Amino acid sequence: MATIVAGSLTTHGPQLTIKPVTADPQQSVRFRRAMAEARRRLEAARPDVLVVFSNDHLQNFFYDNMPAFCVGVGERYWAPSEGGGNTLKIPARQISGATEWSRAFVKTALESDFDVSYAHELEFWDDLSVPLSFLMPEDTIPVVPILINCVAPPLPRPRRCYALGALVKTFVEGVRPDAERVALLGTGGISHRIGVPGHGIISPEFDQRVLGAIQRGDGEALAALTYDEIEEEGGNGGQEIRNWIPVLGALPGRKGQVLYDEPVPDWLVGTGVVWMEV
Amino acid sequence: MSEYQMNKLLFETGRQHKAVESISDETQLAAYDLTPQEREALKAGDIKRLYELGANPYLLRRVFRPRFHI
Repeated sequence: MATIVAGSLTTHGPQLTIKPVTADPQQSVRFRRAMAEARRRLEAARPDVLVVFSNDHLQNFFYDNMPAFCVGVGERYWAPSEGGGNTLKIPARQISGATEWSRAFVKTALESDFDVSYAHELEFWDDLSVPLSFLMPEDTIPVVPILINCVAPPLPRPRRCYALGALVKTFVEGVRPDAERVALLGTGGISHRIGVPGHGIISPEFDQRVLGAIQRGDGEALAALTYDEIEEEGGNGGQEIRNWIPVLGALPGRKGQVLYDEPVPDWLVGTGVVWMEV
Repeated sequence: MSEYQMNKLLFETGRQHKAVESISDETQLAAYDLTPQEREALKAGDIKRLYELGANPYLLRRVFRPRFHI
């Protein structure tokens, strides 16, 4: 049986790299310190594969064909492409996919009545490119991207995202070869509002509610959230908490240690970095 | 459902990594099946109205970035 050796949760957002120095410069220093610590721990866990739960921002998917859950099965991905990199102010690069893992997971998911879609070509913007620019600046760990629709409602329920994480745990422990080491990363959230009336408003109460549940090891509390509750309390960007929930579903009852937690107006987002017990 | 066409216009504009104040190019607008209200709001760069008409907020943010205060 393979092992989940690491779990981490981080905010993503274009402003994190577009505007690295914020009005309170110490904020970005603290954030970078937390990300450096998460990177150190990730490397110390020596993973063979990094499963990243995140969401497309309508750069790959559109309303012509909108997957609720999509597993990347490509051999490499732009993270970011040149165009995306110009906007994000980070260099264009390609990262390697863990193709065999991805394909095997899709097969297991479908055979378990979890009807994920899959895609060979995916381009990542801030969703993966920004967190990985801190956590994996070199192309060292092959990645399995699992994209969850958080931006084009109707969205999959948080409960289903939790079940997706439980499926990943079953797959790792029941199907993958002995000695394989798997790291999990969820990126997105916490509270933010993008492109809506109220654009830029952060809700620290929602951030604390989310982080509090994770610190208590109560992922179930987040799995029970509804779309309306998240939209009202955490904003439309808060819907990205779906990307954190599978990590909690794969590590049931485990507690998270908050490495960073601040509302950062310049980044438009209640910013969090969490490291999970495994 | 015409909001699909409006979002398609925004999606295809956003893919070019172009941020604008408004979209008033008649040739570009004519390529999509838009309602008069949608055309008017696109030409005015009225992000609030576009949101009410069903434009995806992430596409609004991407395409009309100069219209946002932050």
